[in-house]
Amino acid sequence: MTSEPLLRLQGVMKRYGDFTALHNIDLDIQEGEFFTIVGPSGSGKSTMIRLIVGMDEVTDGSIWLRGKRIDETPANLRPTCMVFQSLALFPHMSVGQNIEFPLKLRKIAHNQRRARALELLELLRLPPNCYAKRISQCSGGEQQRVALARALAFDPEILLFDEPLSSLDYRLRKTLEKELKDLHHRTGKTFVYITHSLEEAMVMSDRIAIMHNGRFEQIAVADEIYSRPVSRFVAEFMGEVNLFDVEYRDSVLTSSDLTIRPNNAAKADPADGKGQLMVRPEDVRFGKDTNDFDYVLFGQLMDEYILGSRIQYEVRTAAGKLVTVEKPREDRTQYEIGSEVILGFKATNTHFIPAD
Amino acid sequence: MPALRSTRIALLIYGLFVICLLYLPLISVGFASISRARYISFPIRRYSTQWYGEALQSGTVRDLLVTSLSVAVIVTICSVIIAFFGALAFARYEWRYRTVFQKLILLPIFFPQTVLGLALLMWFNALGIIPTWKTAVVAHLVWITPIATLIVAIRAYGFDSALEEAARDLGASTRTILREITLPLLMPGLVTAGLFAFLLSWGNFPLSLFTTGADSTLPEWLYAKMVSGYSPLVPTLGIMSVVASIFLIIISFAVIWLVQKSKALTQV
Repeated sequence: MTSEPLLRLQGVMKRYGDFTALHNIDLDIQEGEFFTIVGPSGSGKSTMIRLIVGMDEVTDGSIWLRGKRIDETPANLRPTCMVFQSLALFPHMSVGQNIEFPLKLRKIAHNQRRARALELLELLRLPPNCYAKRISQCSGGEQQRVALARALAFDPEILLFDEPLSSLDYRLRKTLEKELKDLHHRTGKTFVYITHSLEEAMVMSDRIAIMHNGRFEQIAVADEIYSRPVSRFVAEFMGEVNLFDVEYRDSVLTSSDLTIRPNNAAKADPADGKGQLMVRPEDVRFGKDTNDFDYVLFGQLMDEYILGSRIQYEVRTAAGKLVTVEKPREDRTQYEIGSEVILGFKATNTHFIPAD
Repeated sequence: MPALRSTRIALLIYGLFVICLLYLPLISVGFASISRARYISFPIRRYSTQWYGEALQSGTVRDLLVTSLSVAVIVTICSVIIAFFGALAFARYEWRYRTVFQKLILLPIFFPQTVLGLALLMWFNALGIIPTWKTAVVAHLVWITPIATLIVAIRAYGFDSALEEAARDLGASTRTILREITLPLLMPGLVTAGLFAFLLSWGNFPLSLFTTGADSTLPEWLYAKMVSGYSPLVPTLGIMSVVASIFLIIISFAVIWLVQKSKALTQV
């Protein structure tokens, strides 16, 4: 991260009346990066890309593209382009006319426009006879690709996506996620992608930013966010998680939720204080002996859910806490529902989240 | 689920009843127009098309048509232009007094037309304007523009505002967006609004009665003739007016159809 970033947000703030949608956002995005912003609805992620492309004005702060300030440039003069959630394809134009729209505005000759449009159709694996189709005649997946082709025809410095896949069914979404990632490789463009689906973010992105209440909670690569979340919000947002209230006192861990075997009580966590110990369901195991684990739980098996290739168990501990355990299907346990079980996990699979 | 046989028969009878109710009066006027008698009387004893010939040759009829047509054409053009911008303000843009505007613009429609006509006449007098067919244009606009605005607004409501944003994002200026996106997408609404504006103006009587002054439109003349000195030209002109309106509707649909077809062709 030594080179100058392609896009830089500096202290960006957005207020609507009394409501602050974005608080003092600082962000650098490198050239060629696939950067995904994940967050629940209302977290401010859409607002942020609307500010970048110029649909909305910043209340405070500045936006820089290749070292040039752009937040006061009108949207139609910014070298940014966005794929809308609704796709916003022009219904009164054909596929070809949609793709050529930005080229027509630049007064590029008709035959050159057509050639470029056909090239883009090929890049997006659409048949050439799509060119003359009306938008209403295209399937959902084709419309997605046409919207992408139109954005690429504009040839932006940075391409932004506002949840364009959210309205598609699961299978098509999976296919398009992979195609989008592939397209990112082939075009070498910088992509900024917004989604509320963590899975989508993990499949495609170089870096992920988790957004909450108009602030970034954490920006990191997918694995880092998954295994070392900085806050409870991030931990819970990144899929199923077990959290136990714990406290470090003089570097000794204590907990009313857990039985902690003495030799493992101390961990090299820096600060004393209260917080939560996180362990993902796939790292929790059933055991016969408490010696198998660093942290031990006793409980009753409450339920079993079959999730395709994986199986999920719900165990109620003696302290009354529900713990989720996940196993691959072939490791299905022999325990009956209602039986008493011993659960545990290793210290290396845990992560301490300090309380705010 | 297919409807029961008895339900289908009941629906058929109801449908025929409604059609009769709507079109029988028109048919009877049609018969009256080809009667040879000087007065409306049934049954008709002798048929003739002589009143059609007279209508076509009459100078009075020509003057009436010119007046009615001038009013209707000007009202159509003005109301569609105002309705276009009005509908955008009505349905598309968030602004402070939008809800107030949405209610105020409906008000003239709910005003009884005779009262509205009288009120306008009093205004013209107060301002020292002598009523002619030109003041009737203003009167018609007061009543018809809100209707045209509503028609265009319905179309504008179905308009995804992201389309305009996308066009701007792709580099289009405000003027280009208007020309390439907003106008073409609202066009069906504008054509419908224009059609309604024309027909409402063409057939309007209460507003014209008060505001045309010495000039006379077709409905006014028809009314005058019914009240004092019936002329067999009344049903004749009535039918001719209906036929002309039907032609207008057919022509405008044909124009829409041709425009869409030529667009589809240029795209291939």
